[in-house]
Amino acid sequence: MILRALMLKEWRILLRDAHALAVLFLMPALFLLLMAMAMANINLDRQPPLDLTLQLPADDADSRFFQRALAAQLKTRSFTVIAPAANGSAQTTTLQLDGTAVGEPLQVRLPDDFSAGLLDSEPAEVTLIFPARTDAASRQQLRGAVQIALAQTRLMAFLLDSGELDEDSSEQERLELVGKRTANRIVEQELLASGDLAQRANATQHNVPAWLIFGMFFVMLPMANGFQREQANGTLLRLRCMGLGLGPLALGKLPPYFAINLLQFALLLGIGVWALPLLGVPGLSLPGSPLAYALLALCLTLATCSLGLAIAAIARSTEQALLLSGGLNIILAAIGGIMVPKGVMPETMRQLAEVSPMSWALDAFLTLLVGQGGIADILPYCLRLLLFAAVASSLGLFLFHRRLRETQWTTHY
Amino acid sequence: MIELAGVGYRYPGAEQPALHDVSLTLRAGECLGLLGANGAGKTTLLSLISGLRQPGAGQLRVTDGQRPGMVPQQLAFYPELKVRENLELFADLHRLRGQTRRQRMDWVIARTALAERLPRQAGSLSGGEQRRLNFAIGLLQPTALYLFDEATVGVDAHSRQLLLATVEELTSEGHAVIYTSHYLDEVERVANRILLLERGQVKLDLDTRALLGEQHGLLLKWPGALPEALERELLAMQLPFKRLADGWHIEALQGADLARLCTLIAELPQLPSLLRFGRPSLEQLYLHLSGGAL
Repeated sequence: MILRALMLKEWRILLRDAHALAVLFLMPALFLLLMAMAMANINLDRQPPLDLTLQLPADDADSRFFQRALAAQLKTRSFTVIAPAANGSAQTTTLQLDGTAVGEPLQVRLPDDFSAGLLDSEPAEVTLIFPARTDAASRQQLRGAVQIALAQTRLMAFLLDSGELDEDSSEQERLELVGKRTANRIVEQELLASGDLAQRANATQHNVPAWLIFGMFFVMLPMANGFQREQANGTLLRLRCMGLGLGPLALGKLPPYFAINLLQFALLLGIGVWALPLLGVPGLSLPGSPLAYALLALCLTLATCSLGLAIAAIARSTEQALLLSGGLNIILAAIGGIMVPKGVMPETMRQLAEVSPMSWALDAFLTLLVGQGGIADILPYCLRLLLFAAVASSLGLFLFHRRLRETQWTTHY
Repeated sequence: MIELAGVGYRYPGAEQPALHDVSLTLRAGECLGLLGANGAGKTTLLSLISGLRQPGAGQLRVTDGQRPGMVPQQLAFYPELKVRENLELFADLHRLRGQTRRQRMDWVIARTALAERLPRQAGSLSGGEQRRLNFAIGLLQPTALYLFDEATVGVDAHSRQLLLATVEELTSEGHAVIYTSHYLDEVERVANRILLLERGQVKLDLDTRALLGEQHGLLLKWPGALPEALERELLAMQLPFKRLADGWHIEALQGADLARLCTLIAELPQLPSLLRFGRPSLEQLYLHLSGGAL
């Protein structure tokens, strides 16, 4: 009766706390939707379109070949070609236009002796000019495209020189022939937990679990805040005077937050599966056994609620509770591969990520979603989460017990 | 109901004990007014009696081992819950069931006039209503001893009368009550016994009637120079009086003497700025006993 009453109380308070519900449901759902849309192209290797200016030394066949080879390698928003005209003035033409240029374009300048040096062992330098704002992906994209276009132009020159290519062939024929000679077929696959290979993962499979885990850990906030309010307004004193000890007080608090965490898990996965496709973002598929997801949800919930209990017992005021739970959540997410995938982190940060329970949970999720693993495959991650839950809850219960013992009759007037 | 014998308590790291050798027996139907300056040991004593702390020395025994019902000075309820939900929660926690539960709920709701506020969220109640809810929750537990700590702070006059009448009703029904408040007129009204703590020790433990006495006195104060004619008359009448800086305090006075003094005062060229006849208030006594410290 007592436990049921305490749980009902906690549940009612939680359901009437609009801020807590927004933090637990609205915020992670928005994060999930926004980040999934923003990062939809990342793992698909869709490069951002470039604004490009190509400066040619002459309006000759080699330069035009390079120009077409380069255009074939790049997705451009605007592509402007500057070449000297017959009368000596610069002639500007737009080769390809998929949109309006945004800011300063990237530039490629071919050297004056471009044609003459194509068959040399040390060809003349090609200059790439990047505006300061150019991101690393765009720089890499242009470098790669220029390398390929240069190689194709040099191959074309070699084939002409060796007689394998007819001098009278059209530019289009040359481009097609060189294209065939330099074409490669590369297939990228993911190594599954079972050791099999599968198609590459999309960004949704990282984003959905990442923001789901982030949102679930926010359960610390209302837990810690509620405990502080209970102490500050004297209800904890009243409960203690009624003889309620650590057991019912702690047990009465945890189940409602377990339930909220499990609801978050189901809701955010549901958004990943059903809502994302409606927004034009690849939806989440949930391969494997539902039991594996249930096990992960349970372990994750135990970890988050145990940490919440520890933070609730450590904090001494609602302000501290807010700072500790919010701050810790963001730090664990930052180092745990939630905000930035571990794959792009330097080695030191990747090692640091291993201390974050969010990282373990995310690895378990990726093993299920991308690696199509089962219960046995995620067991090591689940055990880590359970161990973390055991340590955090032991610390939380110890500190909670001490706080209860320290409860005394308070006087304010 | 409750018995303390040589009870002492020292907080960890403190040089002086917060309570030392406190002995007290509180019986059914007694309402103990607990007084003392800040730091005198009231909070520690309440912590021990409520079971929050265990005495470091001596013995504390509560009849039948029942925990006391308590009304703390903080508004110790859940503002997010409705009034009814708060009452039901604490009724559940007190394991009240069936007929007893219904009767107890009806009784506290009637005593605190909260019937119309039951569907309201507790946090949205007025200050006085919140204080009444705090009071109601404390009364939910059927027990032999109730503790009230500054239970009427911030309530309107009507609510205050209602709550004090409930405390008096508890005492008259045979419950033991410990009542502490800085509103000494309240303590004077509800308590039939006063315990004054000073530096962790019992300085005074007396029946209120014995403490305040039945003797009526007269307090006279003058705005300017004291009229010498009146002092000569007081000496002539052989009244036991004390000369103050701005007047006199006649400790015991019969009706006839009062009438004679009033006639004389009326004939004086300057009337007194204060004339108070009656038994001394608890506040006057407290200030006298504690040297003015609150």
